[in-house]
Amino acid sequence: MSDIASYLPELWLRTGEHIVLTGVATLTAILIALPLGILATRVSVLRGPILAVVGILQTIPSLAMLAFLLALTGQIGALPAIIALTLYALLPVVRNTVAGLEGVSSNAIEAANGIGMTSLQRLFLVELPMAKNVILAGIRTAAVIGVGIATLSAFIGAGGLGQFINRGLALLNTELILLGAIPAAILALTVDGSIQALDWGLRRRPKIAAPLRPFLPTLRIMAMAAPALLLILGIGAYLSGTSGASGIGASTTTIRISSKNFTEQLLLAEMMAQMIEEHTDVRVDRRTGMGGTMIVHQALVQGQIDIYAEYSGTALTAILNLPVVNDPDAVFEQVSQAYEDQFDLVWLSPFGFTNTFAFCVRRAHAVENNWQSISDVRADQPLRAGFAPEFADRPDGLPGLLIAYPNLNIASVQDVDSAIMYSAVARSEVDVIAGFSTDGRIDAFDLLVLQDDRSYFPPYYPSPVVRQSLLDTHPEIGDALNRLAGTITNESMRDMNYRVDEEGGTPASVARAFLEENGLLTQNDAAATE
Amino acid sequence: MIRYQGVSNSYDGGKTWAVHDLSLDIEDGETMVLLGPSGCGKTTLLKMTNQLVPLASGSIQIEGDEISDMDPVQLRRRIGYVFQGVGLFPHMTIAENATIVPKLLGRGPNENQSLARELLALVDLDPDIYADRFPDELSGGQSQRVGVARALAADPHYLLMDEPFGALDAVTRKLLQDEMLRLKKQLGKTIVFVTHDIFEALSLGDRIAVLNQGRIEQVGTKEELVRQPASEYVEDLFKSPKAQLKEFQALLDGEKPL
Repeated sequence: MSDIASYLPELWLRTGEHIVLTGVATLTAILIALPLGILATRVSVLRGPILAVVGILQTIPSLAMLAFLLALTGQIGALPAIIALTLYALLPVVRNTVAGLEGVSSNAIEAANGIGMTSLQRLFLVELPMAKNVILAGIRTAAVIGVGIATLSAFIGAGGLGQFINRGLALLNTELILLGAIPAAILALTVDGSIQALDWGLRRRPKIAAPLRPFLPTLRIMAMAAPALLLILGIGAYLSGTSGASGIGASTTTIRISSKNFTEQLLLAEMMAQMIEEHTDVRVDRRTGMGGTMIVHQALVQGQIDIYAEYSGTALTAILNLPVVNDPDAVFEQVSQAYEDQFDLVWLSPFGFTNTFAFCVRRAHAVENNWQSISDVRADQPLRAGFAPEFADRPDGLPGLLIAYPNLNIASVQDVDSAIMYSAVARSEVDVIAGFSTDGRIDAFDLLVLQDDRSYFPPYYPSPVVRQSLLDTHPEIGDALNRLAGTITNESMRDMNYRVDEEGGTPASVARAFLEENGLLTQNDAAATE
Repeated sequence: MIRYQGVSNSYDGGKTWAVHDLSLDIEDGETMVLLGPSGCGKTTLLKMTNQLVPLASGSIQIEGDEISDMDPVQLRRRIGYVFQGVGLFPHMTIAENATIVPKLLGRGPNENQSLARELLALVDLDPDIYADRFPDELSGGQSQRVGVARALAADPHYLLMDEPFGALDAVTRKLLQDEMLRLKKQLGKTIVFVTHDIFEALSLGDRIAVLNQGRIEQVGTKEELVRQPASEYVEDLFKSPKAQLKEFQALLDGEKPL
């Protein structure tokens, strides 16, 4: 698919972010780990505890670590990601520092003491130089592991190559996954090579082929500079990517639009971004594909992002923790009021379509059992369910569903990611899923939505949610987004989802096509671009 | 002069004594060999002299100064130290190894470069060949020559040598012993030399102190030890080399008629 080519400018930025994340974390880890390692070898009672603590840090699953740091720092983005990567990098560096220092021969130590070195002289003139290669090997390990773990940072909005992997997972787009994974692998090898070069350059007697020997001093300087050059390159890519290609205008503002990590959210984020880019002078930094409702909501409340699209029902139950209400207009009223009071956030006019949970089964399975609505399912017909964790817990999810439909016999519940649940039910791995009514894959996988004949699932209105302070300073953003109000029908949303999920279109290109077809990019309101 | 008075040390809190109530005077310019089997306390006594091993009781004075009043680092820089493990620093060149002590004392690199050449020449290593080499390119004998050069670099009055040639083959050891005799004459240092090798003791020592179980059996010149052994222990010490020599002599004599 040629659409991949359109990601190449972003690839440059994400690679830069990835290098900066890993580089800053590895350098920080070295600054902490070297003294820790030295301390562990000098103060023998601390040796055990220090190695145990850095060892335990390493065993914490990376996603759990990121989620924990997110809560602890109260921030999304680079800070919690760098802290997490730093903590992971400690173990290899501390352990190799200890091993390196303990590996210094007792003869060298006795000689150092015998000729009258102070403890510090022994450390800096004898022990550290002799342990250098082992310590550098630890730093190499730490940096390479860091490149790998940094791919997960995209879940908390820190960017990096993981952003492609995340988006690829959300869109079930293998090429997009590879667009993140292959450069990450190449980057890992490059980082490894650069530190190996540094190691070579730092040796007193570097091995070198005879014909190259005259160039040894130059080669040596180049080798020692390799990791620094890589980091500078990364910072350069990062800065050039974030400051935009069109030059730096004095008065331009950059805002951040975010989304959760599934197709419809990515499409809505794109549409909002393109409308703002088209009709205002504001620049948009896309921080899409975050790890869940709470993460992206927190980010908005704390001002790390400015806009994302939320569903009124999700806001009601998952964020405000209020009981389910079946009147969609009442829900919208209640939610916008609460957001204004509690968070200083504004719900703009809804996009037009409604989205709700859809009780999906295989079409053949439904026909065979003569099911049309949820109440047609009999208690002696057990179902294996595949639900996203969020649905299984939400009051407007599974718990309420079983009260509304006591006839349902859910024999087992499996945790299934929203990206793969449609194919899971299509392949009979589960019998029923709670999909989204606008998802294009319902048709694509030949599924049937059983009618919600008791109106249990309230229809949710998706709307742009924007920080009030942004609308105060840039009212034109509100104007641009309000042009989307009521323009997206259920059919067109489902069609767009389908085009991304099944036909491999990028959210950007599919969103653009929709906006163009509906004349939303034309300048019929001259005031908006003034 | 180094003066040991009632010196004791124990590694197990006083159950057994590595060195027990030992007194000994070492005169300026003499080479004192501490001779005895392993475990007799000779290395402990040597290492107490530069505080590598702490002094449990008694007193050690160097030029009248109590060593326990001195900063160990300053003390060690005044005393050359050579030991069996050599302990050259593998990441430094031979020249850098030889001049590490002057460097610690704050001498500049230029001074050290000419000093390194002098020192290597002194221990019979050609500076043009060896100065820029690294320790792993040297043989055991060459390494210990550098070890001796390093100990002499800051021109200390005292040299402590802990079985310095113990790990070398017989031929190399003999070469280095001869070298030591020459250096001794040339430099006039006060040397404390630990060995368990009787012939090494006899050839290098101006005086020899025979140690046994942390105490001194006898101190004297080689003639005194051999002719007037003070104890049965000292007498026995020379028995087996004498027997070996006799056998060897018989072998040599027996060859003549052939």
